[in-house]
Amino acid sequence: MRFAKSGDGDFIQRIIHHKFHGFVHSTFNRTINIQCLDRGDLYTLACKGIDNAPNTLIIDLDHFEETDIWVNDVVSSDHPVLLIANKMSITMNGVKNWNCELPKYPSEADVLIMNVSTMKQYINLHGNNSRIERAFKSGNPFDDEMSRMLHERTQLLVSELQNKRISTAITHATSLIGLGPGLTPAGDDFLVGLFTVFNIENNRSFLHQSFCEEVVLHAKALTNEISYMALAKAAVGQVRESISDLMEALFRGSEEELLLALDRVLAIGSTSGTDIALGIVAGLEMNK
Amino acid sequence: MTVQVLVKPNTYIDSVSLMSLSTKANQIEIVEQAIIAMGTEMNKEVIRNVGLMTPEVESAKTSDLVIIVKAASEELCEDAFESINELLTKKKDSSKGKSEVKYSTITSAVHGTPEANLAIIAVNGSYAPREARKALENNLHVMLFSDNVSIEDEIQLKTLAQEKGLLMMGPDCGTAIIGNVALCFANAVRKGNIGIVGASGTGSQEVTVRIHEFGGGITQLIGTGGRDLSEEVGGIMMLAGIKALEEDDATKVIVLVSKPPAPSVEEKVLAQIKQCKKPVVVWFVGGNEEKVTQAGGHFAKMSKEAALKAVLLAGADESKLNKRALNLPLIEEVRAKLNPQQKYIRGLFSGGTLCDEAMHIAMEKFDNVYSNIQRDPEYRLKDVRVSQDHTFIDFGDDQFTQGKPHPMIDPSTRIERFIQEAKDPSVGVIVMDFVLGFGAHEDPVGAMLPAIIEAKQAADEEGRHLEIIGYILGTELDSQNIEGQINKLLASGATHASSSQNAGLLAREFVVKGE
Amino acid sequence: MSKINELFTNKLNVINVGIENFRDDLLKQNANVTHLEWTPPGRGNPELIAALDKLEDPSVTDKIEAANKEAVERIINSQPVLIGFDQAINVVPGMTKNTILHAGPPITWERMNGPMKGAVTGAIVFEGLAPNIEEAAVLAASGEIIFSPCHEHNCVGSMAGVTSASMFMHIVENKTYGNIAYTNLSEQMSKILRMGANDESVIQRLIWMRDVLGPILRDAMKLNPNGIDLRLMLSQALHMGDECHNRNVAGTTLLIQALTPYIIQTNFTVEQKKEVFEFVSSSDYFSGPTWMALCKCALDAAHGIENSTIVTTMARNGVEFGIRVSGIAGNVWFTGPAQQVIGPMFAGYKPEDSGLDIGDSAITETYGIGGFAMATAPAIVSLVGGTVDDAISYTTKMAEITTTENPNVTIPMLDFIGIPTGIDIQKVIQTGIMPIINTAIAHKDAGIGMIGAGIVNPPIEAFEQALLALSENIK
Repeated sequence: MRFAKSGDGDFIQRIIHHKFHGFVHSTFNRTINIQCLDRGDLYTLACKGIDNAPNTLIIDLDHFEETDIWVNDVVSSDHPVLLIANKMSITMNGVKNWNCELPKYPSEADVLIMNVSTMKQYINLHGNNSRIERAFKSGNPFDDEMSRMLHERTQLLVSELQNKRISTAITHATSLIGLGPGLTPAGDDFLVGLFTVFNIENNRSFLHQSFCEEVVLHAKALTNEISYMALAKAAVGQVRESISDLMEALFRGSEEELLLALDRVLAIGSTSGTDIALGIVAGLEMNK
Repeated sequence: MTVQVLVKPNTYIDSVSLMSLSTKANQIEIVEQAIIAMGTEMNKEVIRNVGLMTPEVESAKTSDLVIIVKAASEELCEDAFESINELLTKKKDSSKGKSEVKYSTITSAVHGTPEANLAIIAVNGSYAPREARKALENNLHVMLFSDNVSIEDEIQLKTLAQEKGLLMMGPDCGTAIIGNVALCFANAVRKGNIGIVGASGTGSQEVTVRIHEFGGGITQLIGTGGRDLSEEVGGIMMLAGIKALEEDDATKVIVLVSKPPAPSVEEKVLAQIKQCKKPVVVWFVGGNEEKVTQAGGHFAKMSKEAALKAVLLAGADESKLNKRALNLPLIEEVRAKLNPQQKYIRGLFSGGTLCDEAMHIAMEKFDNVYSNIQRDPEYRLKDVRVSQDHTFIDFGDDQFTQGKPHPMIDPSTRIERFIQEAKDPSVGVIVMDFVLGFGAHEDPVGAMLPAIIEAKQAADEEGRHLEIIGYILGTELDSQNIEGQINKLLASGATHASSSQNAGLLAREFVVKGE
Repeated sequence: MSKINELFTNKLNVINVGIENFRDDLLKQNANVTHLEWTPPGRGNPELIAALDKLEDPSVTDKIEAANKEAVERIINSQPVLIGFDQAINVVPGMTKNTILHAGPPITWERMNGPMKGAVTGAIVFEGLAPNIEEAAVLAASGEIIFSPCHEHNCVGSMAGVTSASMFMHIVENKTYGNIAYTNLSEQMSKILRMGANDESVIQRLIWMRDVLGPILRDAMKLNPNGIDLRLMLSQALHMGDECHNRNVAGTTLLIQALTPYIIQTNFTVEQKKEVFEFVSSSDYFSGPTWMALCKCALDAAHGIENSTIVTTMARNGVEFGIRVSGIAGNVWFTGPAQQVIGPMFAGYKPEDSGLDIGDSAITETYGIGGFAMATAPAIVSLVGGTVDDAISYTTKMAEITTTENPNVTIPMLDFIGIPTGIDIQKVIQTGIMPIINTAIAHKDAGIGMIGAGIVNPPIEAFEQALLALSENIK
């Protein structure tokens, strides 16, 4: 029996109070995704050390290696226990509920303005070669073309949003979905960052929420299920804990707090964290 | 130049591996260019733009992994795919590990491993008796960790074990050491010549740790479960345990650890002590000295005393032992710091017997000692969430563990309570245990540390001294690093007690008046 | 020395049940540990645990063991031989012109799912009982058609299992115990009656099978006085990489190789014989039904042994999954809801398009091939979404819920151990391990056909009910 340490409140409620039926969708060293049969939604089981996230349960385990869990293993629940075939059972006893709450936009923007500028410099120095930030010359034509398209399309998207031309902005945003190497394509990651900012209450661009929803409508067919789930959640302001912590630090934190929070976001995936952070910066700069 | 495509349907690889795979694929000598990406529309567009589009790529789905290789010839492309596949599968192999045989029932496991000789059973109490019975039927000794097993089942299991000449440790047995291997919650201690039969887990742990500190060692520690010495069960396992240790050549001295037995059982145990050819040290927490002595046993009122008697009987040289006497100047010093309102002890324990011992020590000098494990109903806490006068709480008791892990694993409930007690101006001293060893929390002191520091600071600001005593149960062989734990505790300004017994005595002496 | 003192001196070797951390701590101390993959028996249901306890009482275990031993011996010793082909009306017990047999446990027209309704209406049109599908549906609902499970007529039917009077059947005789089993012919392809398709092309094919294929096979086997030893052929097919449920490449080759010398001697035109060979080579599935009849023939011989807890039938009608148990004689079905099959689908179809688990083909797993013999068919592990290691572990896992191994049908990859044989209800409930079944996926709507293949587990309810009934019946 394994203990769940913490997790998305709704997911935990589903396991405790309803029957969960699904199967293992994909497996990685430190996370596995399970697909729920009734709605097709993806949920994630993650090892300790990974941050809380929408639809995610953190369990008391270092890694999934040697657990013998394979794609298509049946996942079910027997409240309050989640069962993966007969290979692992995870009890919700003692689990901490987590719900994503994004901080509100600060009434005074001084700290934020300074922090955004610090964040940009820091990403420049420590970010992971994002293809969005600068056109990237590697000598590999595919990579170069990818970088060019990402760079160009993010620029277009930002400029359309700044000029409040929402319908063309949606077209450009859609053209980013599924674009990029990696499991979660860079374009998707950038949009996750942007969506996060658009879901901040009291933000002037708060009105762009409908933009998020509109873009997500197009996303399902354009990217893989794992990345889609992250996008769809971000569109309604549900993002992983490290991202909401970063927002809090941006709004109210000292430089040290900001950089600590930023480091955790930059550590996501290969270049994903950097791309998310760039999305956040782009979203915040629109308020200028 | 030839371009070849491989589409792997429904293949998800995490970004970091995907990137490194892509880098490595491009480094393969024969490869002019390799692309590895998910088959999304946008990625296809990039592929189209660089002129590598093929019908296969066109038909790939968003969940498919697309691999495109450009090389001098078709054969070289094939070779490259082989290398890429190798890279892909290498990852799989390492995650697979050795394929050991898996069994689902005790019977099939015994069938597959005939050398098996003991079963540890830690499943929900309603299924536990059945599994224990299966284990006994398959001639396995049993350690039954589960609680919530009925007394009828316990009697039935122990009777069956008795008939078959097997150990039936438990139900609710959390501590044992068999053949120098610690089972469930136990500490790493030296091998030696002292055997223990214990009806209480942390009590037995405390005795093994003290014996180890005095330079002695353990042959076997047999757990019996807390109810073994009740009228109904009749001490079946304790009696069997004494007998087995008596027959064990390596064991020179036997130590019994328990709450006081039911009268009829006490008689049987004393009768066996009388017959026993080996010296028997008896620590029955709050028990009666006279009867034990009459039966030829060696009575110990407290834990350290029990360990000391055992090592001396086992042949240790008393003059060479550091008995760790109480620090009397410290007592004076602390008394001087406490103001007249600070009258009470609050004991917050993760170990049941450690709580019991400290409580009994306090009861020698105070009447108003309350607890959730008081045997006298009058002094049992009405509401376990609210302390009263001197209060000792065992957080391992059922009221606190419903649906939560044991406090030795999950310290959160005790931390909350500590914060509450620390604010109470009538509290003079808070005493706590920190249990190390197998099964226990990796850093129990560290988990409590921020709360201690904050509470001390808050008390200082109010101009009041908050005395905190910590006892760390463990040995230098335990994985948690006892030295580091003690240093952390001292750094927080708490007082470190060197044994459970001393922790109880110090707590009492700090607040006792008029001596 | 007492057993306790032996424990003190021997190296500790622990079986760990429950909390996994205890195993890790023991390993750190160099003790040997076997950690059980334990789940609460009977999913923790006290009634089921009581039933298990009752069956494990020393006064009855011996009887159950003896009964189970006999049951598995009969499965293993059965020697099913293909002795001929004929129309159902001529050979199948209880068959009439207006009877339609179907897969799985009993079901009424109203409750049938899409594929089965499609197959039934198609069969009515094929038999000339109605001029078109719409009127066939009216007739099916009128009560004039008798619906009955294949299994209750010594038959099995793959997928919808729909079998009507004029269809040609395999005739398989158990040379050891004398009983006979039947099943109809493979329609090959994916858009076929058994998958719920019923358009003109499907009916035309059935007519050709009735008028050309069936008679040729019938006449061919009349020329073969010894019949074809199917168990021997099955064992060869397994050695050639078939599990004989979802993969039948080798088995079909062996079967047609055995039939060919007789087919060419029949009095049909070369053109017609050529059509037969083309039909056979159009799909590897041709021998699929043949193995089902073999399994049915062996398992029927083991049915009805008092006190036996061995499963003799697993079958699905698209709505319910039903099992029968040897110790409860006759046609007593224990059922639970049919499950969704999980596995790869043909392009353009999604999981929500699939009909629920259907067909008598799970008789192959009941015998010990199909999903139980995955280890022998590495070529199709991709079909069931795994690796070769997975395939092997499927087979070894099934050993946990079966009684013995069949030495006549072996798996080279596992050092020639026999296929896991004799699913024991007690073991299924105790371990919570469910039989693993390889199967095809039919579209949920009538008229479309096969859209994928994959694996499925039975619903545990069927096994739970069977256990309760056994514990009440035990003598």
